[in-house]
Amino acid sequence: MKIRHQQKLVVLSLGLAFLFNIPLVLVFAKKWTLFGFPAFYVFTFLFWILSIVISYVVMSRHYD
Amino acid sequence: MTKYALTILILLYLGMLFLIAYYVEKKYKKAASSSPLVYVLGLATYCSAWTYYGSIGMATTQGINFLTIYIGPVIAVPLWIVTLRKIISISKSNNISSIADFIALRYGNSRSLGLLITSICTIAIIPYISLQLKAVSESFALVSNDNTSGEHLFQDSAFYLSLVIGMFTAFFGTRSSDATHNRTGMLFTVAVESVIKLVIFLAIGIYVTYFMYDGTTDIYEIAKSSIDLSNHFGINSLASGLNWSFMIVVSFMMIFLLPRQFHLTVVEYAQKSHLKHAIWGFPLYLLLFNIFVIFIAWAGRISLPENANPDYYTILLPLSDGNVTMATLVFFGGLSAAVSMIVISSLALSTMISNNVIIPYGILSRFGKDTSERNNEFIKNIRRGVILLLVLMAYTLFVSIRNDQSLFSLGLISFIIVAQLAPSFFIGMYWNRGTSLGAKVGIVGGYLVTVFTYIVPFIYSSVFNNNSIMEQGYFGWDILRPDNMLAVSDITATTTTFFWSIFVNTGLYLTLSVMVKGNYRERNYGEIYVNSGDYDALQESAYIWQGEAYFKDISELLIRFLGEEKAKKRIDHFRTKYNIHPDEKLADARFVNYSEKLLSSILGNVSAKKLIANVVNEKPLSLVDVLDVLEENKIAIATNKKLKKKSKELEELTDRLTEANIKLQELDRKKDTFLNTVAHELKTPVTSIGISSDVLLDEDMPQELRSRFLKNIQTDTDRLSSLIGNILDLEKLASGREKLNLSHLSLDHTLKKAIEGIRIIAQKKGINIQEEIDDNLHFKHDYTKFYQVFTNILSNALKFVKDNEGKITIRAKNLDNDIVIEFIDNGVGVDPVDLPFIFDKFYQSKNQDLKKPIGSGFGLAIVKTIVEMHGGQITASNGNHKGAVFTIKLTKYEKSTHY
Repeated sequence: MKIRHQQKLVVLSLGLAFLFNIPLVLVFAKKWTLFGFPAFYVFTFLFWILSIVISYVVMSRHYD
Repeated sequence: MTKYALTILILLYLGMLFLIAYYVEKKYKKAASSSPLVYVLGLATYCSAWTYYGSIGMATTQGINFLTIYIGPVIAVPLWIVTLRKIISISKSNNISSIADFIALRYGNSRSLGLLITSICTIAIIPYISLQLKAVSESFALVSNDNTSGEHLFQDSAFYLSLVIGMFTAFFGTRSSDATHNRTGMLFTVAVESVIKLVIFLAIGIYVTYFMYDGTTDIYEIAKSSIDLSNHFGINSLASGLNWSFMIVVSFMMIFLLPRQFHLTVVEYAQKSHLKHAIWGFPLYLLLFNIFVIFIAWAGRISLPENANPDYYTILLPLSDGNVTMATLVFFGGLSAAVSMIVISSLALSTMISNNVIIPYGILSRFGKDTSERNNEFIKNIRRGVILLLVLMAYTLFVSIRNDQSLFSLGLISFIIVAQLAPSFFIGMYWNRGTSLGAKVGIVGGYLVTVFTYIVPFIYSSVFNNNSIMEQGYFGWDILRPDNMLAVSDITATTTTFFWSIFVNTGLYLTLSVMVKGNYRERNYGEIYVNSGDYDALQESAYIWQGEAYFKDISELLIRFLGEEKAKKRIDHFRTKYNIHPDEKLADARFVNYSEKLLSSILGNVSAKKLIANVVNEKPLSLVDVLDVLEENKIAIATNKKLKKKSKELEELTDRLTEANIKLQELDRKKDTFLNTVAHELKTPVTSIGISSDVLLDEDMPQELRSRFLKNIQTDTDRLSSLIGNILDLEKLASGREKLNLSHLSLDHTLKKAIEGIRIIAQKKGINIQEEIDDNLHFKHDYTKFYQVFTNILSNALKFVKDNEGKITIRAKNLDNDIVIEFIDNGVGVDPVDLPFIFDKFYQSKNQDLKKPIGSGFGLAIVKTIVEMHGGQITASNGNHKGAVFTIKLTKYEKSTHY
């Protein structure tokens, strides 16, 4: 796997680290809900799923 | 359900796991061990009973915070592509079998560090196992409606559960003594358990959400009106933000550092596809495990009584709904989670303990005598004993803190203690200066902080039911209250402990590493870890080792542990790889290193190192030694290069000298001959003059005789003078000092003059001279010198022909390009033996008496030199009948080099 593609995952990890930590995580504190999920969980699960999808795409395309 | 029925089910369930493991081991060994699905599901052991029951309890009491345990890994997993690959590559090349091996090896395979890490992990993992036992026995009690536990050891179902689980683990985890060997069957059962616990957890989630309630929105709407949900809507203060972030950092570290996670991700890693699917598969598993958590928690709060333990809502909810089957299923999901965690943890820990504590410190000397099978059996038995002991210790702890402590705070102790390995682990991989001393002091320092800020208060409140430290602080000092030591309100004791312990740990580690230099081994391995990209290059050959070892000793050691056949195979392989002759007696560093690695897979690094050290008679190496070795190498290489160059130059010089010497010898020989001849030539006339003078001194000598002797003296003097003149001429010509005085006279003129010069003598002797000379032989020449040339040749001819019969013919022909002059006589001719040499200085025929009445030996040499100076050639041969022929060939119009 090329360094370039590895770095995509490293950047993903850094992005998640910023997103899920203070101060950015404070932004998730909203009052609304979606299908009974409070906004905070919606955000969290959304980014969680996004990271799984990105990881999957990067790994299946570039991992050799 | 009665506890007996449940016990039978448990035994059936464990029996089924046995069978699965056995069957897979027999039938699908290869497929199962290489399957990425098995690997990913194995990683899911991270979701232990703590997660299975505890996250619902935590969601109930602390809202969103239960997510932190999973968000850390979710952040960490994409990084695996860099970090985990590095860890795996280092571990696989060194047969690392546990995290203690990994860290100890980084710091120079430090035995004491291995021991320290093992102790830290043991201290941390026992409460973790204990927490699993607690979850199993409590859920057992709930499902079987049995509340009699704890009165007596043998009446306590938890004790039997622990014992059964311990036995199961001990049997499965130790099928092979090679700790790095994939345990296919066991891993497969763990994967099966991961599926069971996930499916059941999702099932209970769906059951609660869609069967007991009318979907997620329904539960939310009811919960909103009846309970406080504010802690589910996000972080609303900086303090809770800090708690949140610190917990994420802790769980981030755990996915690398927990002994069982290290074992599953690194030791059980078998092929590339494992990582490929783990990077997205593992976060997906964690996500699925969290979807229904909040709804189960809310449903529990809504429908169950206030005093119900939220950890067990998953069991209590179906029980309250009258669904015992569902509750039993949930119990088995929890049992799966607990069993897989205990199996892997105790296995990882027992390997660590036997490799880092028992074998190197206790009974190592026992080895070396027995056969490989007995040794292997012994190692396995040690591991089995350790596993059982661990589970029983965990049980003891569980019994002693049997009160209302939630699962969550118990599990946190493990996390915070294991986190103490983080600085030496993470920094050590990317910073080569980190030292063993720094790592040890850092870990101990960090650990002591956790004892002070977390463990002592925990024990006080859980075991002794004394909350004074928790509530008022040590000695009643508010600043020493566990959750107040950061002096920030609303910070939990966990955050405080984590902050201070990691701060102290990292600080000590960095400071000591900067202040005190590590020894050669630490620096060597530090280099290897940090630059693991160049790992292969650094391997084996880079290992600096000074000592003496014999192939035989090491081979015997290998045979004892690997068995004869395997050991021989490995040794042969090594010899072939490095092209080492079987008769080679001394083992080098590469072989020592290779053997150490082979043994590591069975005994762990520390023990292997010690065993090898026993036989190799290793000299302790100081840094100075290492530097000396390096310096010597450097100098030797440089010197060697220089020497090679010099040697080549010398070779060339020698060749030239030999050549020159041959020439010199030749010249010397010629010089000797020359001096010899000169002396001889000078001696003859001088002797003659001497005798004549003696005779003349006699007064009575008649006048006639007197004048004859005087005449003799005159002749000899002339001869001497001519001889000396000749020598001087030749010397002048040979040295090139003599310049030609070229004139435009035609050559036939010079030739005729020379003939005129000798004609009188010839006539006196009655020798006939014939001339056949062409006219106008135009050739630029030095008149005097050519006159000498012709005179010399003619005089020679006169000497060798008989008086009155002699005949000398001189032919000079003017050809197109050349002038050819021949002197033909009818004398005795030249002996064919002498022909090649007659132009040499002083050359005189061996048959002197016959052939050479008079002569200096210089004449022809002078002739040749002069002719060659004019760009011509002179040759001598014998004529058709008798006599000699001298031929001079001159090239017309061509400039000689001397013009």
